[in-house]
Amino acid sequence: MKIAIEELAGCSGCTIAVLDLHEMLLDVVAEAEIVYSPVIMDVKEPPEGIDIAFVTGAVRNEENRERLEKIRKRAKTLVALGTCACYGGISGLSMLNSNVDLFSCVYREVETVKPDGVIPTDVPPFLYRAFAVGDLVKVDYYVTGCPPKEAFLKKIIPAMVAGDTLELSRKSVCSECDRIMGPVENWTLKRRHEGVPDREHCLLGQGYLCLGSVTFGRCAATCPKNNIPCHGCNGPSLDILREPCRDIHGMMVRRISDLTDKPQKEVEKEFYDVAHTMYAFTIGSLIMEDKETSKIRDLVKERSK
Amino acid sequence: MKEITISPVTRIEGHAGVRIFLNDRGEVDSAHFQVVELRGFEKFLIGAAIEEAPRITPRICGICPSAHHLAAAKATDQIFGVEPPATGKKLRELLNVGQFVHSHALHFFMLAAPDFILGHDCPAESRNVIGLARQSPEIAKKAIAVRKFGQRLTEAVGGKPIHPANALPGGMSAPLTEGKRAELAVMADEALGIAREGWDLARNLLDGVDTEIGAVRTGFVGMTNQGVYSTYDGSAAMLGPDGGRVGSFSGPEYTNFIEEYSEDWSYLKFARFKGGDYYRVGPLARLNIVEKMGTEHADAALAEYRERFGTGTQAALAYHLARYIEFIASCERAVQLLSDPGITAPDIRTPVGAVVNRRGVGIVEAPRGTLIHDYTVNEAGIIERCNLIVATCQNNYAMDRGVEDMARRVVENGALTEAAANRIEMIIRAYDPCISCATHAIGKMPLKIECVRRT
Repeated sequence: MKIAIEELAGCSGCTIAVLDLHEMLLDVVAEAEIVYSPVIMDVKEPPEGIDIAFVTGAVRNEENRERLEKIRKRAKTLVALGTCACYGGISGLSMLNSNVDLFSCVYREVETVKPDGVIPTDVPPFLYRAFAVGDLVKVDYYVTGCPPKEAFLKKIIPAMVAGDTLELSRKSVCSECDRIMGPVENWTLKRRHEGVPDREHCLLGQGYLCLGSVTFGRCAATCPKNNIPCHGCNGPSLDILREPCRDIHGMMVRRISDLTDKPQKEVEKEFYDVAHTMYAFTIGSLIMEDKETSKIRDLVKERSK
Repeated sequence: MKEITISPVTRIEGHAGVRIFLNDRGEVDSAHFQVVELRGFEKFLIGAAIEEAPRITPRICGICPSAHHLAAAKATDQIFGVEPPATGKKLRELLNVGQFVHSHALHFFMLAAPDFILGHDCPAESRNVIGLARQSPEIAKKAIAVRKFGQRLTEAVGGKPIHPANALPGGMSAPLTEGKRAELAVMADEALGIAREGWDLARNLLDGVDTEIGAVRTGFVGMTNQGVYSTYDGSAAMLGPDGGRVGSFSGPEYTNFIEEYSEDWSYLKFARFKGGDYYRVGPLARLNIVEKMGTEHADAALAEYRERFGTGTQAALAYHLARYIEFIASCERAVQLLSDPGITAPDIRTPVGAVVNRRGVGIVEAPRGTLIHDYTVNEAGIIERCNLIVATCQNNYAMDRGVEDMARRVVENGALTEAAANRIEMIIRAYDPCISCATHAIGKMPLKIECVRRT
């Protein structure tokens, strides 16, 4: 079994997540041969005849796209590993600005650079937008998570190496959360730094924008258990993925309205910074942008003016 | 025009390349370190609510997410005008300690050591942690154990081992339970044992290695708490290339001292002092700056290190030893903090109200060097301006010049063997560059080496 890990635009966190198999890593490399992974080894190009290629990161520039196409050709099975590969991830937020504005900010407008700073051109050019891996090539398996969690990878990697299939949870983050709903009265949306949430009750019920109900689980609801509302880093829940008319924003509006008896229009008015609080991990995904009720198109249009 | 390409530069975090330009006699004309990606955080954070910065910016880097998380959190404290309570601060420091243990163990044992232990001319397929596991399984197992401790510590304090989420304006969101503390304290003792044993290996690593390679002369920047080694609290001290103290900064005044510029051939910016002198950050810089580490075993190691390299070394390969001494110090600090009875106290968070200051600058030491997060917000706390200065950008000049120095030594008759290419990569690896961080501005990095013959 020959395994490769390719990295596109991302943070290397998914490769670190594989290293976070810890001792199990030794068992995995006893069964399978890692033939290419630039972060941990010196082989410069993915060889032919890869059985499983894990691709991490989003596609943001020409080099990313070429690497993706190459590894797709050389691998029997391609796994989109992590939320960037599955949905564009945080790099997708770069679509809130035109490439020209992005470069101009970084090289000419931040306080430590000069207004006549050089904008690099002798580098792989940017694509007109960010893409998830599945937007450009056929993906055999999607493994979500920013990055995928240790307990989850410990289940799936040995199984994949052994050629087994296994049944996995398809539930949302809420299904793994230990909070109880409790009373919901005089609900208003709070900013995340406002007040201190109590540890017993649902964060959404307390007024915090917790995306647990619209987010795919398998993370053991770690953030809500640590008193941090879910940010949606595992990507959309299965019902949103399946239904063309369901979308993160729309489902949050509906859910809060049901919870609070506030009309949907009123709920919507309380939202702020929808791009960074709701679509931070999915804005670079064509699948999510193409949803009938998605706000992504509007957000991109509005901000990139 | 002739091109030789080695792509990507490997065993570093992210994508980067090296370009070597040859004259018609096949000699090195010039060489550069090139980063081929960018993501654009400084721009796309504009418009975000400031309290989101600590949970968006860890995604700059999966290797040192805690440093970004904490730099952003410190900036939010200033914006809301609060200080975290004592336990909140200790937990944040402990989070950074977890980061250092994992990152330094990863780099020393898994990314850099194969060059020294297996030899830089060992075949490319086995010159890595897997090859190391075959040849020296005991070292590999210990490397896995200490990294695991670092990640478990980060997870317990920060919520998750990668991209922690628990730091927020005013402190931390969840306390450390007594059960977890006790479990981690045992692991910390074990990790310190491994770190101490490993010093024998580490201090001999550079024996017989020419430490003049990759030569460059620069100033240094690193945090210190009144002369003592510190990664979370203190001010950033600046040394000039002659070793003299230039000054220090701890907030927005960094802009009086540091400037950045860009080159056409790399997405990665370069940082230097405003007077034009270049500087470096990271383990070498920090150890040049501090008077002492403040913990027993690290101080003993520092004394040995200084016997060999003096008090202000410029040698790039000394980064490896400096990094190892920091690794010992981090394990010792973990033991200390985990035996502090206050570490499990419930006072972890100072409640915050409205925006008090429109600007917050969070500075911490990341494993690779000084990290600066600078945010300006409007009255509602929405980000209006953002500047992020990461370690790899501050080491860019030194890597670039080191690459050229090494290229001149190893390119023969206009050709580069695989082993020679790895020698160039070894210089880059000494800095433990993080291209994920470096390209926060827009992208990511493996290293590729390209020789271009100028005609």
